[in-house]
Amino acid sequence: MTKPDTDMLEALFQDARATPPAMPDGLMDRIMADAVAQQPKAKSGGWRAIWQTIGGAPAFGGLVTATAVGFWIGVAPPSNLPDIATQIITGTEYASFDDTSLPDFSAFGWDIEEG
Amino acid sequence: MARACLNGAPAAVSPKTMSFDASIDDVVDDPDAALLARYADGDEAAARLLTMQLSPRVFGHAFRVLGDGAEAEDVTQEALMRLWKIAPQWRTGEAKVSTWLYRVVANLCTDRLRKRRGGVPLDDIAEPADPAESAEAKLQRGSREDALQIALDALPERQRQAVVLRHIEGLANPEISEILDIGVEAVESLTARGKRALTALLSGQRDALGYSDDKT
Repeated sequence: MTKPDTDMLEALFQDARATPPAMPDGLMDRIMADAVAQQPKAKSGGWRAIWQTIGGAPAFGGLVTATAVGFWIGVAPPSNLPDIATQIITGTEYASFDDTSLPDFSAFGWDIEEG
Repeated sequence: MARACLNGAPAAVSPKTMSFDASIDDVVDDPDAALLARYADGDEAAARLLTMQLSPRVFGHAFRVLGDGAEAEDVTQEALMRLWKIAPQWRTGEAKVSTWLYRVVANLCTDRLRKRRGGVPLDDIAEPADPAESAEAKLQRGSREDALQIALDALPERQRQAVVLRHIEGLANPEISEILDIGVEAVESLTARGKRALTALLSGQRDALGYSDDKT
């Protein structure tokens, strides 16, 4: 194996690297069509989008906590807070469960409405 | 266990035997893996980029190994199809996308060449005693552009794959060893023997190809 022969082979390799075989017409388009056909759908839209809009799991956790706390305050309000439900029912500015001027009621006063 | 293993062979092969360890450099140096992850997330632009970057390389390799444009076209489409299918399971860092793809192509080409020979396993075929005999006649008619391909076609399949990957695709020996599933020493041996055979095939064609002594 003489040096000129190896140099010629190297030159042929160089030509081959510089001029790769041309892609046949339409092959790229067919491959791209395959890619699109096989591609998983983008993870967006529908319930996922709504979920992301409200902030995902952290925001949902906060929402649940706030709802639970609000419900509990409604059921058993702290004594130093005005009882909004009673105010609405009696039309008074302030009232409390130990107000003797009011008839006993329970269940948010639904029993009063029903007589 | 690697879900995206380095397995392009149509035949069933244990993923364990086909996976390989990758260094952190592989992750950093493999932008194709990032594109593939975007593709799996539904990014159509990533699909286009991967197609444009990988298809010509795949086709070029298949064409050089098979020496037939139509077959290389089929192999290219099939290899890329396998990439699209495996994309959702791909785990970055366990294999370079291009290495995996070259291996798929190498195996598909091997299958095609095996079918041409009537299903006889390539390992059972003795290397031609003098491949120059049939190739030389073709070289007389061929242009310089065709000469290398004609000479490549005369090489045994494994030598051809190794020479194309090393000297035309420009890959390093360790990567070729992963692609061909052989040791690095075997790659060096294949490429050395391949180059010697090519030189022998082409040596008588220097003048015909326009390579006089003073030009080289």
